[in-house]
Amino acid sequence: MIEQGKISDEWIVSYAAGTLSEAHSLIVASHISYHSDLQQTLAQAEDIGGMLMDSLDPTDVSEGSFEATLEKLNETMSKPALDEQDNEVSASSSPKLPAPLASYLGKNLDDLKWRMMGPGMSQVRLWTGPNDERLWLLKARGGTQMPMHDHRGHEFTLVLKGSYHVGDQQYTPGLIEVADGSVTHHEPLIDDGEDCICLVVTEAPIKLHSFLGRLAQPFIGL
Amino acid sequence: MINAHSYIRSRSEGHSVFLTENIAPCVMFVQYPLNNALERRLKKGRGAAMKADQARQAHEELVMLVAEKADKDAFRLLFMHYMPRLKSHLIKLGLESPQAEDVAQDVMVKVWNKAGQFNPAKARVSTWIFRIARNTFIDHTRKQKYTNVNVDDHMADMIAPERSDENIEKLQAATSIEKAMTALKPEQKKVISLSYFEDMSHSAIADHLSLPLGTVKSRIRMAFDVLRRELGDKA
Repeated sequence: MIEQGKISDEWIVSYAAGTLSEAHSLIVASHISYHSDLQQTLAQAEDIGGMLMDSLDPTDVSEGSFEATLEKLNETMSKPALDEQDNEVSASSSPKLPAPLASYLGKNLDDLKWRMMGPGMSQVRLWTGPNDERLWLLKARGGTQMPMHDHRGHEFTLVLKGSYHVGDQQYTPGLIEVADGSVTHHEPLIDDGEDCICLVVTEAPIKLHSFLGRLAQPFIGL
Repeated sequence: MINAHSYIRSRSEGHSVFLTENIAPCVMFVQYPLNNALERRLKKGRGAAMKADQARQAHEELVMLVAEKADKDAFRLLFMHYMPRLKSHLIKLGLESPQAEDVAQDVMVKVWNKAGQFNPAKARVSTWIFRIARNTFIDHTRKQKYTNVNVDDHMADMIAPERSDENIEKLQAATSIEKAMTALKPEQKKVISLSYFEDMSHSAIADHLSLPLGTVKSRIRMAFDVLRRELGDKA
């Protein structure tokens, strides 16, 4: 069963198997952080990975491999401990971010460089990968109507703060919207009230409907 | 090149009886509470299944010995069991043998350094090492970050009032993964292998098998359901 607002199992399996890109791994890991049932599913998918690895026929290891490993161990121990998970993000950060995202950003949302991208909207570009895959943060003022657009690849949107609607479906913090190439005339409406902040991954440039939107597209970088 | 088991046995006289599948008695003096399901199964004493449980229990105790006592002998036993399998895994993922060994050694170094973070209530040793291997492999080959899910994250508490605070429920592995895999249809087995062993994304699998993306995704979903059921998920 596919539950609205939660990612379906094949993405969790692929996350566990390690086949997702940097952007997809971050958005899936952040989304999973909000939901204990998805954490459970992930634990099982990783258990399967561990069991598959454990069931492989052993390959011979070269002589001296254990000593070589101890040698590497001594080298790492003589260096100061580096723990990439230990990025300090102030506890008062609002909204509280899921640990994977907090650790990835290494700073609070307010300390990022937000760029205007249209009326009521701003963005921070975080990463661009092969095939024009992009990871970015979107901030939209309450009540904003997003420009109508179509999708060419998958678009993932994880709500971090505030909320928005697409038709009858409301997306609140922790929920993810996965729109694929079949989605046309996608027209999200930001709910009135506080700003809505989302983590977004797009796979291919989205196609804006309005003439003005198409004119602006190269500049706003969607 | 010699087999790691015989190699380590020949190098350490004192541990010649330590075969990885049979080490439980040597570390039994360290007592950790058995979870109920495991305790029941141990009492029932079901041949092969019990042996596997004992081995798993023993591996957990070895990681604890590394974490708490920096015990090199315990580490050597973990190395004996996991190093040759890590190497096989990394070769399957596409590394050449010397490179696979180098990366597998890096994984074992992390096993030592991160032993204190291992929590047997939340993961099996094989799961934990698999996760370290996955991230090390990605770091090594793609130079991309792979973000970890922190199971101690409290986001879930904030938005999901229905959350009960039980431990993450691990698969109890009522049967072996090899047996569970035989329950899959050939086309389901294929997508699982391509995901876990060939490092292929959904779209890479779709290209490779000339299938629509939606078919690949539903096959992975169904295969995962079968494996969960076979491996003893109660849900």
